[in-house]
Amino acid sequence: MTAASLARRPRAPNKGRAEALAGYLFIAVPMALFLVLNVGSIVYALFISVWKWNLRSGPVEFTGLRNYGTALSDPIFQTAIRNTLYYAVVWVPLTMALGLFLAVIVNQKIHGQTFFRAAFYFPAIASSAAITTLWIFIMAPDGIFNQVRGMVGLNPLFSLLGFTANQNWIGDQGTAMNTIILLNAWTTSGTFMLFYLASLQSISHEVYEAAAIDGAGAWQTFRRITFPLLKPGHYFVATVAVIGALQLFDQALIGGGVDGAPNNALMTMVLYLYNAAFKQFNFSYAAAIGIILFVVIFTATLVQRRLFGQAPAW
Amino acid sequence: MRRQLLAALAALTIVVTACGGSATSSPSQAAPSAAASAASASASAAAPASAAASASPAGFDANAISGPVVLSGWQSSPAEGNALTQALLSFQATYPNVKVDYQPVAGDYPTVMAPKFASHDVPDLFYVNADYAQEWIAGGFLAPLDDYIAKSAFDTSQFFPGYASIFKGADGKTYGFPKDGNTIAMAYNTALVTSAPKTLDALVTLAQSLKGKSGLKAPICLNPGLDRGLAFLYAQGGSLLTADGKASAIDTAPSKAAIQWYMDLFKSGLGMTASDMGAGWCGDALGKKSAAIIFEGGWLDPSMTSTYPDVKYAWAQLPTGSSGSPVTISFTVSYSIGADSKNKDQAWVLLQYLTGKDGMTKWTQGGVALPARKDVPTPAGKDVLAASSAFAKPGSGFMVGWPAVQKAFQDAFTAQIQGKTFNADPVITATKAAIDKALAGG
Amino acid sequence: MTSPARPIRADTPVAIAPVGDRSWAWRRRLAYTLLIAYAILMFVPFAWSIITSFKTLPDSVRLTILPDPFTLQGWDFAITKLTPPLPVLFFNSALIAGVVTVTNLVLGSLAGYAFARLRFPGREVLFLIVLATLMIPDQLRLVPVYLIFNGIGLTKGVGQYLGVILVVAISGTSIFLIRQYFLTIPRELEEAARIDGAGFFTTFLRVMLPLAGPALGAVAILTFQGTWNGFFWPLILLQDQGHYTLPIGLLFFRTAGGFATIYPPLMATVVMATLPIVVLYVFFQRYFVEGIAATGVKG
Repeated sequence: MTAASLARRPRAPNKGRAEALAGYLFIAVPMALFLVLNVGSIVYALFISVWKWNLRSGPVEFTGLRNYGTALSDPIFQTAIRNTLYYAVVWVPLTMALGLFLAVIVNQKIHGQTFFRAAFYFPAIASSAAITTLWIFIMAPDGIFNQVRGMVGLNPLFSLLGFTANQNWIGDQGTAMNTIILLNAWTTSGTFMLFYLASLQSISHEVYEAAAIDGAGAWQTFRRITFPLLKPGHYFVATVAVIGALQLFDQALIGGGVDGAPNNALMTMVLYLYNAAFKQFNFSYAAAIGIILFVVIFTATLVQRRLFGQAPAW
Repeated sequence: MRRQLLAALAALTIVVTACGGSATSSPSQAAPSAAASAASASASAAAPASAAASASPAGFDANAISGPVVLSGWQSSPAEGNALTQALLSFQATYPNVKVDYQPVAGDYPTVMAPKFASHDVPDLFYVNADYAQEWIAGGFLAPLDDYIAKSAFDTSQFFPGYASIFKGADGKTYGFPKDGNTIAMAYNTALVTSAPKTLDALVTLAQSLKGKSGLKAPICLNPGLDRGLAFLYAQGGSLLTADGKASAIDTAPSKAAIQWYMDLFKSGLGMTASDMGAGWCGDALGKKSAAIIFEGGWLDPSMTSTYPDVKYAWAQLPTGSSGSPVTISFTVSYSIGADSKNKDQAWVLLQYLTGKDGMTKWTQGGVALPARKDVPTPAGKDVLAASSAFAKPGSGFMVGWPAVQKAFQDAFTAQIQGKTFNADPVITATKAAIDKALAGG
Repeated sequence: MTSPARPIRADTPVAIAPVGDRSWAWRRRLAYTLLIAYAILMFVPFAWSIITSFKTLPDSVRLTILPDPFTLQGWDFAITKLTPPLPVLFFNSALIAGVVTVTNLVLGSLAGYAFARLRFPGREVLFLIVLATLMIPDQLRLVPVYLIFNGIGLTKGVGQYLGVILVVAISGTSIFLIRQYFLTIPRELEEAARIDGAGFFTTFLRVMLPLAGPALGAVAILTFQGTWNGFFWPLILLQDQGHYTLPIGLLFFRTAGGFATIYPPLMATVVMATLPIVVLYVFFQRYFVEGIAATGVKG
């Protein structure tokens, strides 16, 4: 370090070496952890996935790609893929729309703007375990949701849709996943609101002033100006949302147990992986599922990049 | 799923110690053990290496063993913790040199045990549910006990064969002994049901008369799986496997009729799942007075006493069906030693005590389960359940790949009742496929 | 991406009708009513968990706002009869979240500074690797990380704490966030220090770190919240119940059959799992909001 302090010119070779050394030292611990736990993990996962692996004694027999084949041909894994895709297709647009709607609202000149922003984000701060436990309680057959809708006279509407007064929302194969979607749309809309808010702030005043002069109405302004100008925001939120959706796990495990009950209605790709590792004790199979999941997520991100064009600068 | 689980309620690690001169113990046991310890210490230390040489009855002197032993299992209720504590106190009095460190496991038991197997860090002695016993044996997680049985001349003749056979591996070796048993019988709310139905037809008639009464969500609480459905399948003359156990018999006419009958209970609204009643399990439904009749085992009693002491109920045998003779299913759990257990000798001392006459008597007096041995007296209040042992068939773990068969049945059955199609055929197709796959070796 | 310290401004009068419109007054009132109703709706479930925790079991499924009778049974059950007891769960959660917050601040600010300011060969590539770690799903790492930790004894005893801390000891997000902030600080400040003869570490510690308050605050809050709420890694790596955190305790409490519908103690645990974060949120709302907006990664 003394060499560095002696050097007056910014690009002296000694100083450069000292600076590089300091740089490496400063990042050493994180990079070592990343190397083992991220890079190393992928390599190790690939290795494990091509073996028949005994929980207790490790590799037993080289099986090549058999684990991958077994996974793709297992009807329960296919159900898991279907469920996960269904969740993504419904939850992502729903939550993005809700988040955008909330963002536009709190971006107005309204009284108590800070309060509303804080309130709308509030459900996102709790842990998935706590909020899911709470949600299951609320949506139970004798829970307050069913009681409240009965009290305010909504039951005729619900029975028209085929739901009984004591509908078992989380325990019925027809409604279990939608109940989770509703929960996560509610909790995550606040987060997406904040993402969109950051994006909305970057749209300049002049654009709106020009629109006002042209006499554009509120909806027109939103549709013609705000929405298209938010393209980088859409890309970002959609990417985060899709990655999150494909990794749905906590709520499924808490709601439906390791088997994704009822009747695999809550079996997601990640839950299937967890089930393979810790219920069936099949570590190599679980590793193969992990690789498949990674490929799916990676592909989904690339597809979105295509759809939304170039990624924004950050 | 059978109500294994739940955990809970006991202290997180209870180290049961000998507690000085506890009143019921027989201190005289300690003296000979101390005297004998010097003589046989070397023998027991060398025991694993010299199995053949020490095959004589004197080859394993339980009193000469000393050291710690870690015991693990799940806990369904505080009563279960108390009962085990009683048995362990009595063990400590008999074998003061073996110190039991009891570490109950919370939650989904196999899920919690998996990492322990993987890290070769297993308890010395632990529960193994019949459900997955064959999987754990095949995976090499459990230690065979045959050497210990031979060396200590352990008398296995008193175990009910239906229980004990489940813990034998495909290699013919023994990987555990049943710690207890349980049968499925009918429990009913005595305020609503005055006399128990003797036949399934009478059950249906009674249920029809109860329908819609006194806040009942349904007269009967039923599980949509084989964990109870199998009892009714047998009662109605059906079967899962052929008599030799080598082929599926679920698609025979009596089996089909039995499953359809079971499903029709849901169709007619006479039966409902605990989940649809907003209950965690059927015992919960009985306690909340959502159902008047349920089908459970001995674990119901402590749970009702502690959570719903005001609800009065009684036990009756599973009503007989078209098979004409009384039948039900039974469940069991073993004490087993892990392949990687560190203190195998100490674990065997504890195992042979807890599955022996004295230990099992102490344990079953706690009111949680039935004896798995003929020479242990029936605990109070368990007469109906104990009498059912005479005609009970194994309810789980009697074939390799049982968890997959159970899941296939339950998924398909749930699909039918929740989809309101109530057709037994797809259930039979799915279950048969799973059975065939399991019989073919997975 | 915006910098974390950037305040969120109110603007874009998009949906506002021309001032002076007669219908505007009641429309505005209606709009506020709806907004307030929706805002209240956000709090209702949490309020319900608090109310339920003070109810008796039969009362817990009744739609009444005041517990009748008011009882501490649920709390007593959770604190004394739950395995492991509520205080143990709370301690574990606090310990793990506290340590992980500190490691992220220390390691993240050092690395963030290096990536923002220090020149060394391979810097861009290494930073790309940092960002790439954010792309790797945790699930892919489940089996390998588990087996690695198993191999070095981090899945038993106190090692479990170490394992669950190590796996999130530093996140790419923390490094990224702090680096972005350092990039906005004028170079002149540290060059002045450097000319005074300060080494790299001294410059970092004396000059740069004190300026990074907002970024460190956001990282601290986000890390603490994310770790406190963490589910996946604690589920995999904490095997003894004595080491469980609140979320894992909740899972086992709920999936443990007999307690799935014993609501008062269940809700008491929910309250304890949520309350510390709510308190943090009340006091440091700004950091939550701006941190989330800046990183785009939910904890």
